[in-house]
Amino acid sequence: MADVVFSSVQKQFGSFMAVDNLNLDIQQGEFISLLGPSGCGKTTTLRMLAGLEFPTGGEIKIGDRVVNDVPPGERDIAMVFQSYALYPHMSVGQNISYPLKKRRVPKAERAAMMAKTAEMLQLTPLLDRKPKELSGGQQQRVALGRALVRDPKVFLLDEPLSNLDAKLRGHMRTELIELHQRLGRTMVYVTHDQLEAMTMSDRIAVMEGGKLQQFAPPKDVYREPANRFVASFIGTPGMNIVDGALRHEGGRWIFEAPGISVGTQNLGPETRPGNAAMGIRPEGLSFGEGPIEGIVQLVEQTGHENIVVVLVGTDMRLTGRTAADRVWRAGESVQLSIDSNQAHFFEDGPNGIRLNRPLSSPGNQEAAQ
Amino acid sequence: MTQKTKTLLERRYSMLGLLLIAPTVLVFCAVIVYPLVSAIYLSLFKIFTPTLEGTWVGLDNYRTLLAKGEFWTSLRTNLIWTVGTLTLQIIFGVGMALVLHQNIWFRSLARSLILFPYFISTVVAVLVWKWLFNDLYGILNHLMMSAGLIDWPLDYLGTMPNAMISVILVGAWKYFPFVVIAVLARLQTIPDHLYEAARIDGAGPIARFFDVTLPQLREVLVVIIMLRAIWDFKEFDLIFLLTGGGPVTSTQTLPLLVYKEAFALNQMGMASAYAVIMMLIMLVFMIIYIRRTRSEDS
Ligand SMILES: Nc1ncnc2c1ncn2[C@@H]1O[C@H](COP(=O)(O)OP(=O)(O)O)[C@@H](O)[C@H]1O
Ligand SMILES: [Mg+2]
Repeated sequence: MADVVFSSVQKQFGSFMAVDNLNLDIQQGEFISLLGPSGCGKTTTLRMLAGLEFPTGGEIKIGDRVVNDVPPGERDIAMVFQSYALYPHMSVGQNISYPLKKRRVPKAERAAMMAKTAEMLQLTPLLDRKPKELSGGQQQRVALGRALVRDPKVFLLDEPLSNLDAKLRGHMRTELIELHQRLGRTMVYVTHDQLEAMTMSDRIAVMEGGKLQQFAPPKDVYREPANRFVASFIGTPGMNIVDGALRHEGGRWIFEAPGISVGTQNLGPETRPGNAAMGIRPEGLSFGEGPIEGIVQLVEQTGHENIVVVLVGTDMRLTGRTAADRVWRAGESVQLSIDSNQAHFFEDGPNGIRLNRPLSSPGNQEAAQ
Repeated sequence: MTQKTKTLLERRYSMLGLLLIAPTVLVFCAVIVYPLVSAIYLSLFKIFTPTLEGTWVGLDNYRTLLAKGEFWTSLRTNLIWTVGTLTLQIIFGVGMALVLHQNIWFRSLARSLILFPYFISTVVAVLVWKWLFNDLYGILNHLMMSAGLIDWPLDYLGTMPNAMISVILVGAWKYFPFVVIAVLARLQTIPDHLYEAARIDGAGPIARFFDVTLPQLREVLVVIIMLRAIWDFKEFDLIFLLTGGGPVTSTQTLPLLVYKEAFALNQMGMASAYAVIMMLIMLVFMIIYIRRTRSEDS
């Protein structure tokens, strides 16, 4: 059953379109991430769902109820803010039980629910402290506690981990995943960090420029990006994207760019000859004998692998991965080949749609393995 | 070795520090410490103001004034004035700040207009108010009578309790903009997220005021109240010009009494003793104020 539905939702600030014709169907119990670069409209989308911002068009439903005109306090949602927004003069315990108090939960019951939530988040020893006497991670937990305590239908989280240090962030990520599994509640999670989105979500809504680019499970977003934007946004190091042209020859398509030529049969029926782009992830490049000649420009050692940037021709840079024990020298000549089964092809333009046939389609066995 | 050079350097820095604060300390001594000590010193003499000649009387001035009914009446008047005008200043000031904090279209205009009473010279303001209050030609009586609120012109400044009420109201009018500005500045620093969190937590507008706004205003209100209490307690010109302490002595606060002793009765020593007592009373507020601001820093 759909728990949260956005139908043709738009939000305009003056003449600026912050969210444009957004359609999302979020299932009950799903963990959804809104992912995209800064300024793409993620927070605005979340705030519309929270009732802090009103859509200038379209309809938002929570459960079977259209909530466009329902105030935030009556939407049965809870939100965790990026800044935590803890009430500074209230103790941890008072902060956590505040939403219950405002909903007139009897005192004894309130105390019990608060104690249970605090226990779950290991906040019990801190209940009498003020927020400013807590570390960032502890404040974050209190903010979570205030959201969890009343067991709402939908949890909204706006970049909740972005103010934590890297190690704590990793730890909180696992805690949030566990929490979601335990509670089974719908969660809508805003982040600009693809690692968070990829590791935590059931599905990711990738946004850019106020528009939804793709809404799919992490695996699909990675393996079958809907368009060139998603392809280049997801994955570190990013996908190599090469501008060139497609032509049809002898029952197959040939993509050509200076120094590169790749043939494929896996393009959909809508493919037209002409300008196009090819994308290949670093792991789709193999070093050794190959048709592409280049010069090693830069090597980044991460410990378990080497990221190698190769200059091909005068201005094309391709990034590949190799094992950590392979020694590279900058300036060294290399030969590369591209695994055409791993290549993606896009229509011309920054948001050009992907032309490959779906992985699951029958005419595409070679890529589906 | 290192230890020694370091202390040398430190010593040079502290010398420099002393040099830098020396001018301030000198000015501070000249304009604050000297008058203060001199007032305490004068209060131990019986002095005739025009000649400034006097004889040592020790604590006699204090003994006399504490035994005098006039001191206690003036102190009572002073407290009524201070509490009355300060309460109104806070209520109007906070209320107006809350209104001006909203996104209303005339906000920036209103914000500048609101400062008007505070910036206008007290003499000018009082003259205008005296005209408004005038029982024969005053517009206030005219309006009240045409509105049918009163049948007969009221004497606003010449009878009690009217005179006290008028003084308190004019004081509130004159000084509430200070409260508006201070509170408004604080309101603007309260993060919006707190209000949004409260809305999501189910708090209505009134709950948001009491649970978010007011706690955030507490610190600044304490400071405003202390400062205004000190300033209102020693207010002279507004009351002096409006009623001169009258009718008879009904609005005669301590500063007016000091003035009377010093320049009407020519008793500079006695006047100094009153001033010293006033200072002791205000010291209480000052200590609270300093404590407050210090604990805020830590
Ligand atoms: N209240 C507002 N008034 C005007 N523009 C806004 C407002 N809120 C957000 N925007 C604009 O809308 C766009 C999307 O903002 P936001 O949803 O906060 O992005 P993000 O994806 O980084 O969370 C941004 O360009 C931002 O400047
Ligand atoms: Mg944001």
